Amino acid sequence: MVSQKSGRGGGASDAPPPDLKRERDELLHSISKGTRITEEFTREHERMEARLRELETENASLRAKVETDSAVRELLEKIEQLEKEKRELMSRFHAAEAASSEVTARVQEIEAEFANLANLFVASNQLHASLSPRGVMRRIKEVLAQLVGAERYCLYLSSADKSELVPVAFEGIPGERVTPVSIERSAFGEVFRSGAAAVNEDRDPSRGDFDAPAAVIPLSVDDQRVGVIAIFSTLSQKQRFDTIDFELFKLLGQQAASALVSASLFAAADRKLPGLESFIDLSV
Amino acid sequence: MAEYSCLIVEDSPMMRQLLVFALARVKNLRVTEADDGVDGLRKLASARYDIIVTDINMPIMDGLKLVKRVRSDPVHKDTPIVIITTEGSHEDRQRALQLGANAYITKPIQAPQVIATVKELLKIE
Repeated sequence: MVSQKSGRGGGASDAPPPDLKRERDELLHSISKGTRITEEFTREHERMEARLRELETENASLRAKVETDSAVRELLEKIEQLEKEKRELMSRFHAAEAASSEVTARVQEIEAEFANLANLFVASNQLHASLSPRGVMRRIKEVLAQLVGAERYCLYLSSADKSELVPVAFEGIPGERVTPVSIERSAFGEVFRSGAAAVNEDRDPSRGDFDAPAAVIPLSVDDQRVGVIAIFSTLSQKQRFDTIDFELFKLLGQQAASALVSASLFAAADRKLPGLESFIDLSV
Repeated sequence: MAEYSCLIVEDSPMMRQLLVFALARVKNLRVTEADDGVDGLRKLASARYDIIVTDINMPIMDGLKLVKRVRSDPVHKDTPIVIITTEGSHEDRQRALQLGANAYITKPIQAPQVIATVKELLKIE
């Protein structure tokens, strides 16, 4: 086998000529350098990729945070709006509640007023429902006991000479205490003379007694005083006089005696109704 | 709409009138009046009532006897009974309630109290 020698100069040795060797070394050096650079580049690339991933993660996290902050802001705004609506609704609710309470109070007031008027109507109706003196007296006693709540009381009428108040009907007091009293020198006489009721409003009327009555009411017919009703004490559960009681006192003062007088006159006339002539020329 | 019926047993015409006025304020309540316990029982025998309002002190048959009789009547044994009386003591109240009354009102009566009591027992708004 023939060995072919190559190379410049055509020398017999295998060693390359120095210039080629240099070129080869330079080439090898370049390749080696290139490899190193490539490796460095690859590592750098990997680092860059890792960094990029980190940044992407960080970016996503920041984006999420921003989005969360925005959602929180929106929620806070919504809460504020709802709070405002709640305040408005509460304000309207309180206004409605106040109006409702006012209406309820007014209804109760009207119901109480209605009840008082019903009491007065019934009392007046009953006082004039009889034309017998006994019947009228029974009704006066009923008004006192059932509507006013009087437990011990006495009705006095003045004597013909206006010197004494004479007891004509009583309840709850011993007979011996029921005697005529002087109009000039007694508390009852004082009420009779002045025409003004005497009511002790500071005291529990159920604790009144014969010497300190709970109320004394003058009785009149037209403008003439004819007697008094003395309420010595009320039932134990009736511990104060209300507005309706004062109205009932007025009603009794104005109507009890006139009902009694009418009934007495009718009885005195043998229960005969007056003739038509009595009503002629009454038109005004 | 439901209609209720009430029997008032009271000997005083004045008190009856007052109770009728008061109970006229209760919507859909039909009121019948009786003069005393016997008249009350007669009316209870001929019709059914949703509530009874009775006085205690009455001639012929008083309110407590009426309560006893009503509680032994199969038709009205569970009918609410309101007692109205001048007696205000705790013992009187207990006695009436023990006999079977459902509520106790003392005189002088206040219409709003009567209305509220009847409405409560009939469960009316």
